[in-house]
Amino acid sequence: MSLAYIVRRLLGAIPLLLGISVILFAIIQLAPGGPLDIYAENPSVSKEALAQIAARYGLDQPVPVQYFLWLKAVLVGDWGYSIRTGRPVLDEIVYRLGPTLQLGGLAMIISLLIAVPVGMISAARRGSKLDGTVTVLSFAGISTPVFWLALLLQLLFSVQLGWLPSAGYQSIGDGSFIDRLRHIIMPASVLSLATVASWSRFIRSGMIDVLNQDYIRTAYAKGRGEKAVLFFHALRNAMIPAVTVIAVDFVTIISGAVITETVFAWPGIGRLFMESMDGRDYPMLMGLMMMGSLAIVVANIVADICYAALDPRIRYD
Amino acid sequence: MKTKLTRRVVLQGILAGSTAFATMRVLPTMAQQAGGTLNVGLTYELDTMNTYSTGFLADAQHTVIEGLIAPDKDARYVPVLAKEVPTLENGGIVLSEDGSKMTITYHLNENVKWHDGAPFTSADVKFTWEAVKNPDFIAESKDGTQDIDSIDTPDDYTVICNYNTVKPNFASTLFTFGIMPKHLLEGEDLNTSWYNEKPIGTGPFMVSEFVRGQYVVCDKFPEYWRKSADGDQLPYLDRLVFRIVTDSNTLVTQLQSGELDMAVSVPYGRASQLEGAQGVEIIVGPQLSWGHLDFNFRNELLADIAVRKAVAHAINRETLIRVQGGFPIPIKSLVLPLFDLYDDTTPEYAYDPAAANAMLDEAGFARGGDGIREKDGKRLSFAFVVQSGRADDENVQQVIIAQLKEIGIEATADNKTGVAYREARYSGGYDLIYGRWITSADPVYSTFYGSEGENNGQGYSNPELDAVFERLENTLDADERKAAASEMQHIIAEDLPAIALFQGVSVIAKPVELKNFVPNPTNMTNFVDTKEWYLEG
Amino acid sequence: MTDATVPGAINPAAPPQTYWRRVLKRFLKRRLAVIGAAFLVLLGIAVTIGPMLSPYSYDYQDFDLLGMPGPMSAEHWLGTDELGRDALTRLLHGGRVSLAVGLAGAMIAGIVGTLVGAVSGFYRGIPDVILMRFTDVMMSIPTLPLVLLLSGLFRPSPPLLVAIVGILIWMGTARLVRSQFLALREREFVEAARALGASGPRLMFRHILPNAIGPITVASTLAVGSAIMLESALSFLGFGIQPPVPTWGNLLNSASSWLSQAPWLAIPPGLLILFTVLAVNFLGDGLRDAMEPRE
Repeated sequence: MSLAYIVRRLLGAIPLLLGISVILFAIIQLAPGGPLDIYAENPSVSKEALAQIAARYGLDQPVPVQYFLWLKAVLVGDWGYSIRTGRPVLDEIVYRLGPTLQLGGLAMIISLLIAVPVGMISAARRGSKLDGTVTVLSFAGISTPVFWLALLLQLLFSVQLGWLPSAGYQSIGDGSFIDRLRHIIMPASVLSLATVASWSRFIRSGMIDVLNQDYIRTAYAKGRGEKAVLFFHALRNAMIPAVTVIAVDFVTIISGAVITETVFAWPGIGRLFMESMDGRDYPMLMGLMMMGSLAIVVANIVADICYAALDPRIRYD
Repeated sequence: MKTKLTRRVVLQGILAGSTAFATMRVLPTMAQQAGGTLNVGLTYELDTMNTYSTGFLADAQHTVIEGLIAPDKDARYVPVLAKEVPTLENGGIVLSEDGSKMTITYHLNENVKWHDGAPFTSADVKFTWEAVKNPDFIAESKDGTQDIDSIDTPDDYTVICNYNTVKPNFASTLFTFGIMPKHLLEGEDLNTSWYNEKPIGTGPFMVSEFVRGQYVVCDKFPEYWRKSADGDQLPYLDRLVFRIVTDSNTLVTQLQSGELDMAVSVPYGRASQLEGAQGVEIIVGPQLSWGHLDFNFRNELLADIAVRKAVAHAINRETLIRVQGGFPIPIKSLVLPLFDLYDDTTPEYAYDPAAANAMLDEAGFARGGDGIREKDGKRLSFAFVVQSGRADDENVQQVIIAQLKEIGIEATADNKTGVAYREARYSGGYDLIYGRWITSADPVYSTFYGSEGENNGQGYSNPELDAVFERLENTLDADERKAAASEMQHIIAEDLPAIALFQGVSVIAKPVELKNFVPNPTNMTNFVDTKEWYLEG
Repeated sequence: MTDATVPGAINPAAPPQTYWRRVLKRFLKRRLAVIGAAFLVLLGIAVTIGPMLSPYSYDYQDFDLLGMPGPMSAEHWLGTDELGRDALTRLLHGGRVSLAVGLAGAMIAGIVGTLVGAVSGFYRGIPDVILMRFTDVMMSIPTLPLVLLLSGLFRPSPPLLVAIVGILIWMGTARLVRSQFLALREREFVEAARALGASGPRLMFRHILPNAIGPITVASTLAVGSAIMLESALSFLGFGIQPPVPTWGNLLNSASSWLSQAPWLAIPPGLLILFTVLAVNFLGDGLRDAMEPRE
């Protein structure tokens, strides 16, 4: 893989991101009402003050001009200020990103820890009762409404059994690892549900493809044990296509965390998004949506690069 | 209405109950124990700790920031930072010779310290007025700032406010909401200041940690200026934690599991779920709030008084109350019966669908094939807004929709969240809207139904009523106020810009061990006076 | 992007029965897929006929039962909700709405995706570049937040909600159809039709599309599941279809407050969402195996 390829992919992302930003800006601006409407009828805020605020956020300019002002600022790293809290958009996002990344990261680890062995065993025992059960279960995982499951789990583990805190990020004054773990385990498990299911399906089919390849037959023929074959030969190759899915799914996990964060009172990006929706905080919404899109674009590029790096047969030029 | 007799009894029962409860607890039968932490659940995203700019009730804020005076459990003002509540009788309020202006003098307590140790003085009071009045400061409410022409501070502990008008309800926001420290905030941009996260106040608790989206920790201020009757240093509690739990299912779960000790606005529909939760006690406190169905006068069909009256007769309050766990109390006037200004002769509209149907028949609205009435091709079909996500309000809406259907009126839910709801409310983006106002101890009714009222999104304008508001809100004479208020209640009941449905109560879940807790019915919240709360055992 | 495998091309001149017969035969061998299909057919019948047989309408409130959820009884088989409405009627009517949202959303996604993919893959060149860049843009915006943004800011009516759901899940179909078209347009039978003077649209829809119908069907079937799940998520967050119209999403949302006291209200809609989406996934999976056999 060449450096030139990476550079070319990165350059290609620029028009993509510009397109995304135009579409998002248009959607947000076309929506009826605006962030300052709330003050329009309030005599506590004079017309002059309103005009002043509008000018401060550039809301008095025509939409295309507003877009270019926004773009110009973003290019030098200024994402604007939240209308709701008055703080810089970037600060707010970075502040809320940590908890979400922890949640998404743990969800991903749980997914891998379950999906990889399940997918492998399923593939190795293809057609068996076990495979059938796993298949049905993983489809059920994809099909379960997240918030419903979350409520059932809270009721069971927090109210009935009293084993885990039902919600929140940590206990006040106790930021210890164990305390955080007790708080994160339920939301992360709920969040991992859909990906456990889809990844185990993916790894299963990847493994089946690989197991039919000649070199695996050769390995078996050489008298290698089944476990050795599965782990050392087949898994590595079966994981190659999975890498693409995993990188992109990580972003999906995070953008899908809105519901999980609401139910578990998790102070992350998803809740910030909902607050900003309620408050029609346009700079904040624009920042969040752009960051999300940027993450997807980057994840795609990373996935392609990893794919090429892992599979010697693939060459990009 | 059949509840006529019982209504006042019930309400007084509640008030008497809470009074008895309070006096019983204040009696020092047992030594109050200092210490302990109280975990309180808040159901909204705390936006700022500044009492003047928050879009919500300032529950957490009032434990930290104090005002000059504050309403007590009976919605009567009592002194806090001021030594007494200014009145005409004690000379705190002086009318100008022509009776068109007034001067209010506050004498301040002298031993009050800010949380940083600096002394609290009259300069802080004057600064608060200037800061809130400043047009650059985006405040939720600047009520009262424009009525003051100037403030004199002859010494550190005297504040003289020169009003350009006579304001009987001067106490409802400014100076009651809280005082800001001049020595820390002079020259600060209050829209973006650090103060919005970690305000410095004079209250019994100080903010030690504000984690956006999670919680606020308020710790005991050891140098708080007040002591109990026995000479104990107040407050008793070591720590108050306000946790943000926006999902009401999760709120109930956390109360059941003991992760939260207390919640002050349990949705009515949820109270029954907390029965039997260990260590949790449900208290019903009175609240200065009323539920009301408003009409938008920009819709010509609703501008027709016959339609409004028919709607009033179609609504069965008893059913609406039952769907809210039986908690609210039916009312007929927007002035709540516990106020002196309440007029019991205000006419009311009995639940009488037959009469409602007859009214609409007479007005020429005939039922179409689908059972919905119409006249000249115009259907009685309306967009009905409530704040979505509030289960109690949504349930009330569903019942009203069903009740209106019985008289051939179609109402379609068009529910909105957050700013979208408030925008609809202020600018009239609805035909019918149901909501609940919660007010101060002396509500300014013209803000709701005056032609220029800031909360009048209905496009309602009645010059006769405006004249009555003018009289009501610019005199300190008790008899004249009562007469004007009486007239106002009759006009509103006759002209029906809105239907007053019921008084709200606050359903409070608190730990059994929490003592000295007294519910506060006003918009200053149950946390306006936390200094004497303590945990037993 | 690698080109997907193309199923046995259909010669439009010859009757296609044999292909479909083979598909049906293979499909019937998939037990889960058949179960899924049977479940969906039964469900379809139940939600169509059920509300008509019910003595209650979905918004009828029995004021005597108001205030608390009512238990299961002979009059109300699944009890009543806190507004005194019959839970079974609402569940069935909600099924109508949820299935309609799912089907219509998936159909819109299928149509838009097929059109974009077909034009892109058939004409290649500049239309392809423009359409695929646009598809890339849409694929790069996180879906759930975008749906929330659109439905939160515009407060859609049910048809608009369906449209929003539909236009957000068409991109996968578009890419799939494009790759099918890229492969198929070079095949002999297309060349032959072209030589006989068939015009662009005729070639696209009469000759190439029937051969790509398998993957499109599979993708659209699976999209029904995604659309139902999206609707329930929107309802949970308060951006869904307005009350009193029931959907499985908003039934589940309002019943979840009574989960511990009246589980008979919260369990059925949750299970129905689960089973329906599961059935759709089994069906889609079975169709894939039947239509695109991998040897």
